[in-house]
Amino acid sequence: MRVDPFYVVNLSNSLDQTQANEEQLTQELSSGLRVTSIGEDPVAAAQNVQLLNTIQQDDSFTQTTSLTQGLLQVTDSALGSVVTQLNQAVSLASQANNGTLNPSDLKAISNQLVGIRDEVLSLANTNYQGQYVFGGSQTGTTPFTLNNTSTPATVTYNGDSNVNFLQSPTGQSIQLNLPGNQVFASATSNVLGTLNSLVADYANGTTGSGVADTAALNGALNYVSQQRVTIDNSITRLNDASGAATEEATQLTAVQTNLMQADLPSVSTQLSLAQSQQSALINVIAALGQGSLFDKL
Amino acid sequence: MQIATPLSEEIGRYLDLSTRQIQLTSTNMANASNEAYTREVPNWSENQPIYINGIAQGTGVTVTGGVSQRDRVLNQRLDQQQQLSASSTSLLSALTTLQSGFTPASSSTTTGNIGTDITNFFDSYTQLESAPASNPLRQQVLSSATALAGDISSTAASLNAQQSSLDQSATTVVAQVNAIATSLAQVNQEIQSASPNQDAGTLEDQRQSDLSQLSQLVGINQITTEQNGLSVTTTGGQLLASEGNAFQITSGEVNGVTHFFLGTTDITAALASGGGQLGGILTARDQSIPTTLASLDQLAYGLATQVNTINNAGTDLVGDNGNAGNIFNAPTQVAGSAAALQVVLTDPNKIAAAGLGLGTGDDSNAVAAAALGTQGIINGETPSNFYSNLVSTLGATVSETTTLNTALTASVSQLQSQVNSLSGVSLDDEASNLEEFQRSYQAASQVFTILNSVMASALNLGVETAVA
Repeated sequence: MRVDPFYVVNLSNSLDQTQANEEQLTQELSSGLRVTSIGEDPVAAAQNVQLLNTIQQDDSFTQTTSLTQGLLQVTDSALGSVVTQLNQAVSLASQANNGTLNPSDLKAISNQLVGIRDEVLSLANTNYQGQYVFGGSQTGTTPFTLNNTSTPATVTYNGDSNVNFLQSPTGQSIQLNLPGNQVFASATSNVLGTLNSLVADYANGTTGSGVADTAALNGALNYVSQQRVTIDNSITRLNDASGAATEEATQLTAVQTNLMQADLPSVSTQLSLAQSQQSALINVIAALGQGSLFDKL
Repeated sequence: MQIATPLSEEIGRYLDLSTRQIQLTSTNMANASNEAYTREVPNWSENQPIYINGIAQGTGVTVTGGVSQRDRVLNQRLDQQQQLSASSTSLLSALTTLQSGFTPASSSTTTGNIGTDITNFFDSYTQLESAPASNPLRQQVLSSATALAGDISSTAASLNAQQSSLDQSATTVVAQVNAIATSLAQVNQEIQSASPNQDAGTLEDQRQSDLSQLSQLVGINQITTEQNGLSVTTTGGQLLASEGNAFQITSGEVNGVTHFFLGTTDITAALASGGGQLGGILTARDQSIPTTLASLDQLAYGLATQVNTINNAGTDLVGDNGNAGNIFNAPTQVAGSAAALQVVLTDPNKIAAAGLGLGTGDDSNAVAAAALGTQGIINGETPSNFYSNLVSTLGATVSETTTLNTALTASVSQLQSQVNSLSGVSLDDEASNLEEFQRSYQAASQVFTILNSVMASALNLGVETAVA
């Protein structure tokens, strides 16, 4: 059979393909990416979308936890101080109740208790970045206001019972706040109410119902400590979740890198192979181009 | 003297023959790089001998003209394969442009990628959960919404632009098809009148070249008719050229895109699946781009509607309860919502992060908004998975077309090789022919010299030098 007289044209088509191949490899080398368009590896491109989605979520959650940790730590330290103050109040009240103090000492204790109440009140009105921590969802309003006109003095709660949660990427709900009415003014363990009662008990130089109120204060103290555990739990859970997210992000980034990054040694080898092929083809074409029967005529 | 006259006549014819052979060779050589040309070889035919005194006197040969070396079946196969190849090439080039709007993100910080935009948007709501009243975090929600809307709408806009540029290309291709169909009809007519019973040589070359060009542009069927005529129809069966008549494809706008008609029949869909460059262009214009655009529309519609609903179901910083307003412009229908997507909310305080009627410190509505990112709000899939499916579907189409295109290109070049091996001009062949014809010319002229000297000897009665 007669051969195709234009077979050199086919060779130059091959040369074209080799060049396209080299271009692709060079692009992979320069960008460091194996998949530069979705058509090259649709499955990897789709996986890439999902991997990046998870990595981004994890990264963003880690950032969020560092913002949230400040809030939780402020809450925790406020509750810690409240516990210290209440301990002090309990010991003052016990002192007052043992029947050895004279009325002026009792009045002095009452005054000290006023100081403690004010301190607890101000702790209950703690704010973090301009937002009241114990106001439920009413973070823009001072949660507790004191009314001194009546005896005992009364404290009004201006917040609500709303609890905020942070959703972790794995779907955990982490509690972010304790509403003030639950911590400081609950029906069973009313911290501020009990403090006010004690102040009133000792104000006129007698113990009044100081014994009962001290017992109630002790109850309230335990209650606040229990509430504090909720926040401590949240801090721990947040740390764990953040750690898990960071670890997942690290692992997935490795997976994503493996999936999308060019394998440089392999790409370089392929490139050098393509180069040899190209120069071989060029030599062949040059050699074939020279030979013609007309040269011999 | 009885011998000399016919002999010299025969040698004269022989010289003439060699000259004509050399002419044919030079025509072949002149057309060596003309793709449309078909190699011609001389057709020899032996002349009837004449009898003188019962002795046969040869009268040599004549060349009855060059015969084109052609296999019409092979040519037709090449044309058919070229239609498929041209279709996949033009589709591939459209898809390559199309996929550039969906380049994979290299890392989670890549900008301008719809996938990372979606995640960033929902992440910004998660961050807002940590401090619902924070202005910077609210700003972040707005800016990530703007980036998302911007990337979706600009991708949709570039798809629309590509669609209309393909529309124009299709019109241009159809104009070329019409011109070639006209030329084909003319050549048909010439062939039918000049050479009804045999190969029409260079006219046939012209017809084959028209058919080959037409095959690049549009899918066709060829039907040979009587007297060496030819009818050409689209692969859908509509006549483009029938012997001496050409039929023009007309165009008209239907629903904003150009449709093509033969007579009153809308042949757009048939052309799209028919092959050729036009087939690829129309497939991209009427299938690939609309499919991708429809997915983007669904994504935009789902996101905008759901996010707006959530924003109107909570309480914002400025005291709106359940009427904080839309974040994205509210789409009225799915179609076109990607191109129209934009952020209409300007005041970050109007992002409703708190549950309905709750204080500004509540984050339950932000939790609900962030949760949209993991809910099946778009055709039952999460926004991120929906986008990932869009990417893999489009990517698979591109990859499929690339593979098909490589295979078709290879088969076209194989067929082209076969056609060339039969019809192509080989300069080496021509060189050896030339050499051969030159030799036979020399041989004939040598006979003349010898005859001359024989005649001279006869005239001079053996004295060699008197008459030269």
